[in-house]
Amino acid sequence: MSAAWLLERMREFEDRAAVVWRDRTVTYRDLTRLVDTCDQELAAAGVGSGDVATLEGDYSPASCALFLALARRRAILVPLTPSVAAHREEFLDIAEVQVTTTIDDADRRQITRRRTAPTNPLMRQLIERGEPGLVLFSSGSTGASKAALHDLTRLLDKFQVRRQQKCTLTFLLLDHIGGINTLLYTFANGGTVVTVAGRDADSVCRAIAQHHVQILPTSPTFLNLLLMSGAHRRYDASSLELVTYGTEPMPASTLARVHEAWPHVKLQQTYGLSELGILRSKSRSSDSLWVKVGGEGYETKVVDGTLWVRARSAMLGYLNAPSPFDADGWMNTEDQVEVDGEWMRILGRRSELINVGGQKVYPAEVESVLLQIDGVEDATVHGAPNPITGQIVVARLTLAKPEDLSGLKRRVRAFCATRLAPFKVPIGIEIATHDQHTARFKRVRA
Amino acid sequence: MRIILPMTQPQPPDREVVAALVMAATTDVMLQRGHADANVAPDTRLVGASAVLDSLGLVTLVVDLEQRVQDELGYGLTLANERAMSRTNSPFLSVGTLTDYIHGLIVETITRA
Repeated sequence: MSAAWLLERMREFEDRAAVVWRDRTVTYRDLTRLVDTCDQELAAAGVGSGDVATLEGDYSPASCALFLALARRRAILVPLTPSVAAHREEFLDIAEVQVTTTIDDADRRQITRRRTAPTNPLMRQLIERGEPGLVLFSSGSTGASKAALHDLTRLLDKFQVRRQQKCTLTFLLLDHIGGINTLLYTFANGGTVVTVAGRDADSVCRAIAQHHVQILPTSPTFLNLLLMSGAHRRYDASSLELVTYGTEPMPASTLARVHEAWPHVKLQQTYGLSELGILRSKSRSSDSLWVKVGGEGYETKVVDGTLWVRARSAMLGYLNAPSPFDADGWMNTEDQVEVDGEWMRILGRRSELINVGGQKVYPAEVESVLLQIDGVEDATVHGAPNPITGQIVVARLTLAKPEDLSGLKRRVRAFCATRLAPFKVPIGIEIATHDQHTARFKRVRA
Repeated sequence: MRIILPMTQPQPPDREVVAALVMAATTDVMLQRGHADANVAPDTRLVGASAVLDSLGLVTLVVDLEQRVQDELGYGLTLANERAMSRTNSPFLSVGTLTDYIHGLIVETITRA
């Protein structure tokens, strides 16, 4: 059945706005026509079923149309964005890409054939079944990126259920599971995708005001930067109904401040992984970090404080790593959680846990306190080895203006001492000289 | 014309300079950790039953001292390592022994250079 149903569905929406790009509106009629044009271009270049093809660019009418045309032609899509430019060649090799499709700033398309034919057994299986695929590279903060291969038909399946028609800003990038989820959800329901040229606070807030955006899917780090910039005070955000945040644990202090800045907006945590897709989620309330995740097609369980998920739409496997699934199809997410009945709270990755003399410290909790200190614009926390306590908590702070380190230490430790258990108070304190986040607005811990 | 300067061996700081640094850092950490006042003397104990700091306080002091020795005296030292931990007479016993230890490490660094 592939992706055909989605295009048929999209044709129903006719004159509704599908994509806003550079403040220009493209209707569903325009977009589905553009899909047909792209389809012809791909056919002319001999791109068809089972071809592994990149889709390189940011959200635009052409990139959306190419995505849909490639899916319809049952190709294996490999979305790449400039944020992974340094790894492009490596990624092309891992995915054994045969065709590159790029979209330039003027939304022109270029289709280029490469030689390699896929040899990866997992990829071969999918190609032999004649289904379209999707390759997503995990943005693993440590270690090499893993390439998750999805059966795109299966991933699309859950969008057949009709849901709300919304105007959504595409903040998360096109090569991110969250970005793809937003795009497919929006198109399957006749909503509007509002694209932004820059992902800075002002561009985002301006687009929200100008195009009456209802949903902003983003990350805790970006929300923190937005509050710091004060952009929320400069632009009207009355259209905004829902801000979703995921990709990393939310500092409680940032959540409280977003709630204060936009009291009319519902704040909802999302949970998803490149390997599993995005789970449906419900936050207990807008100022709560307790969340219920799952929804149809997903099962969850907590084993020794770690979250395991089994998903119908899970990837087939990695192209370059052993399968992370156990015999029954469960995947260990490595996310440590606290459980209260049907609610859970995500504490952080097991690998980021700091062990101070046998006591556990989650970076997110300490960062949340550090972010409340005057003059601290951003904060990351990591562990450093220490022969006395095994590890110590080290904080790296981005300051609003230069400050003497000894004075800063005194101030930071005094602030933390009244809000954190003694072993969680940062012992090492450093002043950051660079931005402490990735192009995807996710914290980079040393 | 070239002026040839005689090669000079860098001189280690006086022990008194190191002592003042250790006392100041200890005072700082004690105050940060809730002591109302801090009367620090060379025989102030840092480890053991009469210690003025708990283990986290000691770790904090050591990390702060590494940073201050670097910033104020220009020597990059690692104070807490397996070698220091395995000594029969712990260098972290008191303010005095810690001063001797740091001063000794600086002298060692200069001689090795």
